Amino acid sequence: MIADIAVAVFLLAGVLAGIRLVRGPDLADRVISLDAALVALMGAIAIRVAETGDTLYIGILVVIAIVAFTATVVLSRFVETTGRSS
Amino acid sequence: MNPVSSVFVLLGAFVALLASIGLLRFRTSYGRFHAAGKASPIAFLLVAIGAAIEVGPLGAAELGIVAVALLLTLPASTHLLFRATHRTTSSEHLHVDDLSAAEAELVDRDGASGAVSSEGEERS
Repeated sequence: MIADIAVAVFLLAGVLAGIRLVRGPDLADRVISLDAALVALMGAIAIRVAETGDTLYIGILVVIAIVAFTATVVLSRFVETTGRSS
Repeated sequence: MNPVSSVFVLLGAFVALLASIGLLRFRTSYGRFHAAGKASPIAFLLVAIGAAIEVGPLGAAELGIVAVALLLTLPASTHLLFRATHRTTSSEHLHVDDLSAAEAELVDRDGASGAVSSEGEERS
């Protein structure tokens, strides 16, 4: 019950970040909203871990964390080197 | 779930919701980065604490690895985004701007010695 509520709140957070992802005026805004959406996904998976006690999903959390960091670094370097802000 | 871990999980979900509301509501890019880049690691840390109470010590250690990785990498990537935004756009909301002065000084020093080609020199 509580896990369902928390997953719903994380889903709402991801949807709000997705709205900023679509609307965001700059490319950097889209990147940070993608990051926020991925953190919301990680939180939802962590709640699943807490609910079922299944530690198999924690590996997915590691992969998502690394992919989110790499994507943000690459895209911010792209914004810097090309000088295109939007 | 354990009541203590339920409290942690709900608190983390609430902080993530606050981060997304700030991401949606703030008017400047810098404000949006502040909202998302600072609240997101805290949100995941709270949920990871809640989940670590539920699973055993081994799962708690793995969750600790994930939480530390996120706490180390997310501020770094947010900092890179701040710097990219600062270099590519100009904002009238920046009343104090030490970074522009510091980068200009770096370009001057490298240009005078003529030895190292820094990133700032490439961009100028």
